[in-house]
Amino acid sequence: MAQYRYTTVEEMPPLAFSLESTRKIPTGSWRHVRPVYVEKTSPCQIGCPASEKIPEYFDLVRQKKYEEAWYTILEDNPLPGVTGRVCYHPCEGKCNRSPYDEPVAVHVIERFVADKNFKNTRQPNTDASPKSAKVAVIGSGPAGLSCAYQLARRGYRTVMYEAEHEPGGMLRYGIPGYRLPKAVLDKEIRDIVSLGVEVNTDKRIGGNVPWNEIEKYDAVFVAVGASNSSKLAIEGEDLKGFYSGIEFLHELNVGSSPEIGNKVLVVGGGNTAIDAARSARRLGKRVTVLYRRTRDEMPAVPEEVEEAMKEGVGIEFLVAPVAAVGNRRKVAKLRMIRMSLGDPDASGRRKPIPIEGSDFELETECVISAVGEVPDLSFLPYSFLKKNSRIFVDGDYLTGVPGIFAGGDAASNPNGTVVDAIRAGKEAAISIDEFLGWRSKGNGLDHSVVRPEDINTFYFPHEKRLEVPRITVDRGISSFSEVNKSIGEDRAVREAERCFGCGTCLHCDVCLTFCPDVAISKDERGEYLIDYDHCKGCGICVNECPREAMELVEEEPQWE
Amino acid sequence: MGVKGKNGTSAEAAGLLHPSTDKVLVIEGTHSASYAVKLAHVNVIAAYPITPQTGVVEKLSEIVSDGELNAKFIKVESEHSAMACCIGASITGARAFTATSSQGLALMHELLHWAGGSRLPIVMVNVNRAMAPPWSIYVDHNDSLSQRDTGWIQFYAESNQEVLDTVLQAYKIAETVSLPVMINLDAFVLSHTSEPVAIPRQEVVDAFLPARKASFKLDTNDPRAFGAMIGPDGYMEMRYKLDSAMNDARTVIREVDTEYSRLFGRNYGGLVEEYRTEDAEIVLATSATAVSIARIAVDELRVLGFPVGLAKIRAFRPFPLDEMQSLAHRVGKIGVLDRNFSFGASGIIYQETKASLYNSNVHPRLFGFIAGLGGRDITPDTIKEIFSYMMNHDAPETEAVWIGLKTEKTIAEQNALTLSNDTGRK
Repeated sequence: MAQYRYTTVEEMPPLAFSLESTRKIPTGSWRHVRPVYVEKTSPCQIGCPASEKIPEYFDLVRQKKYEEAWYTILEDNPLPGVTGRVCYHPCEGKCNRSPYDEPVAVHVIERFVADKNFKNTRQPNTDASPKSAKVAVIGSGPAGLSCAYQLARRGYRTVMYEAEHEPGGMLRYGIPGYRLPKAVLDKEIRDIVSLGVEVNTDKRIGGNVPWNEIEKYDAVFVAVGASNSSKLAIEGEDLKGFYSGIEFLHELNVGSSPEIGNKVLVVGGGNTAIDAARSARRLGKRVTVLYRRTRDEMPAVPEEVEEAMKEGVGIEFLVAPVAAVGNRRKVAKLRMIRMSLGDPDASGRRKPIPIEGSDFELETECVISAVGEVPDLSFLPYSFLKKNSRIFVDGDYLTGVPGIFAGGDAASNPNGTVVDAIRAGKEAAISIDEFLGWRSKGNGLDHSVVRPEDINTFYFPHEKRLEVPRITVDRGISSFSEVNKSIGEDRAVREAERCFGCGTCLHCDVCLTFCPDVAISKDERGEYLIDYDHCKGCGICVNECPREAMELVEEEPQWE
Repeated sequence: MGVKGKNGTSAEAAGLLHPSTDKVLVIEGTHSASYAVKLAHVNVIAAYPITPQTGVVEKLSEIVSDGELNAKFIKVESEHSAMACCIGASITGARAFTATSSQGLALMHELLHWAGGSRLPIVMVNVNRAMAPPWSIYVDHNDSLSQRDTGWIQFYAESNQEVLDTVLQAYKIAETVSLPVMINLDAFVLSHTSEPVAIPRQEVVDAFLPARKASFKLDTNDPRAFGAMIGPDGYMEMRYKLDSAMNDARTVIREVDTEYSRLFGRNYGGLVEEYRTEDAEIVLATSATAVSIARIAVDELRVLGFPVGLAKIRAFRPFPLDEMQSLAHRVGKIGVLDRNFSFGASGIIYQETKASLYNSNVHPRLFGFIAGLGGRDITPDTIKEIFSYMMNHDAPETEAVWIGLKTEKTIAEQNALTLSNDTGRK
């Protein structure tokens, strides 16, 4: 080291400063904790059954990289246009923004991304090598589509069997067009098919296709859904004018107009009941929903219930039908009884108890019952293990029969929604991949979930949640056109900017800016590098990180 | 602008309407500072709000958010942090600014030493406000004078125009001698009073004040340790260099004021402006807005034939030694009006004036007056009372003569003074 020695005041600089670079002082040895970049899991991703990488694709929306955002969603869910419209978005319920102001409108952005890519065709992966194994998927509802898609992406030859004339299952025949336009569904199915999935429609296993044809495959995924409506089990249920909700929606979705008179009663409190009620409203009928518990216990999506009420659907709570009275073999009256709520039952909801002597009658021309659905498993030749009238599967979606997997509403672990079925399809595909001797890459979710208190809200101004734009109620009930409108780019980006990006580094440069030792830099790809020779482990970067994408870890003691 | 006598009016009108003027705005003293900061192309602003300084940063935050000034505006949690930010910014070669007042300035104290010792050309506006307790939001100068020994150049402004002009001059002075500059303006009397202020044209300001060229700076590509530990073998030399810079500043302040006058048509006399001191026998020295009041009193007394004059102490650090000694050679009595007090001694500017004359071979009588503490008005009558005291006393009775103190007898009564053509005239 050069030795400098000033002897006079005239020679001295105005301020004492080191004559050599301080880089020569390896202050990293002072450190007992080291900052590291981590990818933590956002609560929304845990909340999403399909485990969509929400902070990641929100960041891409922020950067207006809509195609990349779309591909990011497609990793986990091939049907974002569908789920962006019909998903009950449990992700939003977990959003860390909720305690701060309002949750981010995730489903609106998901739909925006899908709509923005409506004219794009999904390009096949180039990294998956074609595999010789062939897999059959029975049923082309959300579980089947998701599974076939994930298998095709992994290079499997995948063949789908669908009993109906067109693929889509409940998405096509169960969900009304005002919630999910057919063009959106068709487009996303086309994308799945374009990956090389063979689709055989009008093929009913156990009907025009014998089960032993299925046995030729190396693996099978059974995803036939639940299409048999449960009965009300009341006297007079066989009268004319009784429909099941599934049956009624199916008729509408194939373009026929079922004969339902003018006064319609819908029994049930789930999504099928509300879909049927709102559809009947669109046919110009007077509609009343009858539910045996209260609004709090209703399994239907709350927004849907609210929309139904706005559209003039009446809802009677704490009532249950006891008998139907006919007139010339046609239903004329429904005899009801009022209920009160007792102790919680197995479902955790309070059990409805009939109030004796509270019977009353409602005049009607049609009763649509939507009190639950069970799968039609008559095609299964073996004595497959069953549980609650559904195919028993283990945690890997494997049935009791080797090589045969099942998921979605047909299997014993359903949650009954589209996104739960998509999850089942994806996870079953991973199990099938492993069964066939390959190692699938799952999401590998780190279960250290970012909590609201981990967010440095200083960096996020309060901002109101995006309101979903809707067509007017009058226009809504006059046709089956879509109720929720799409949003523009500006609003989408603004909403995406509300996202905290919990646990995901968004390259905001806060760490780099705040490091007092200038020990953080960016490489040519824009990734951060920490110079551990100089980082003193002060932790300011970790403390300042707005979104918990950094943490401090203890240094291993190094004794010399 | 401060009220000036009839001699000042036309000069000021000319100053406002000078070719360098872009527009004349009627603005508060705080905003006058903000516009100067904008014109100086300051890069980093860090400040914490405090009454009566708030207007400075409010206006600046608007200017920055409207994109009129491309600066980093750092919100901080205290004045200590504000000054720390300015130090950090300045050491990288940026032009830095902050503003504060009273208790806020006191909280900065440690870092004022750091800025001065680091020889950083930071400019700060301090709105003079009395120190608590008892709480006061009104003017006196104890806040800034308590920071006397921190290595900062200190100016005291008389008008809103002078605030703007001095901020621009301050960056030039600071960057020439590598010292921080504090510009002081009186709470409310200037800070919240609107006056017409000439806003100069940007290109003239740019010609006067080019971008900063730092003689040394922090560079992350060649990191150095600044202000590090230094042994007893070098510390004294660093202190000596700091004082040498203060010494140099005396000349630089005069030169910059002259250059400013050439470009903008306004000057403030460098460190001290004398007013009607020609053939004066009694001169009152004071600073800030008291000066503009004193101008009226002096004019009125001159009409009556009294040989009185005024010295406006504009720069307190470096102290105007030469100017005060020159004055001492010409007059028989000098009074110093202090809007501050050093407890156990007397008015601070009075002490400094006295000390500056001790080794001189001429010794006029010196009088120390205290008035206007905690925002009490200084009126033309206050000034006349002071002159009257000096005319009627060969020497002060005490080191500090308190004017307007609510005793059982006012000083005026004690001295039973009346001003007329018959008394005091020599």
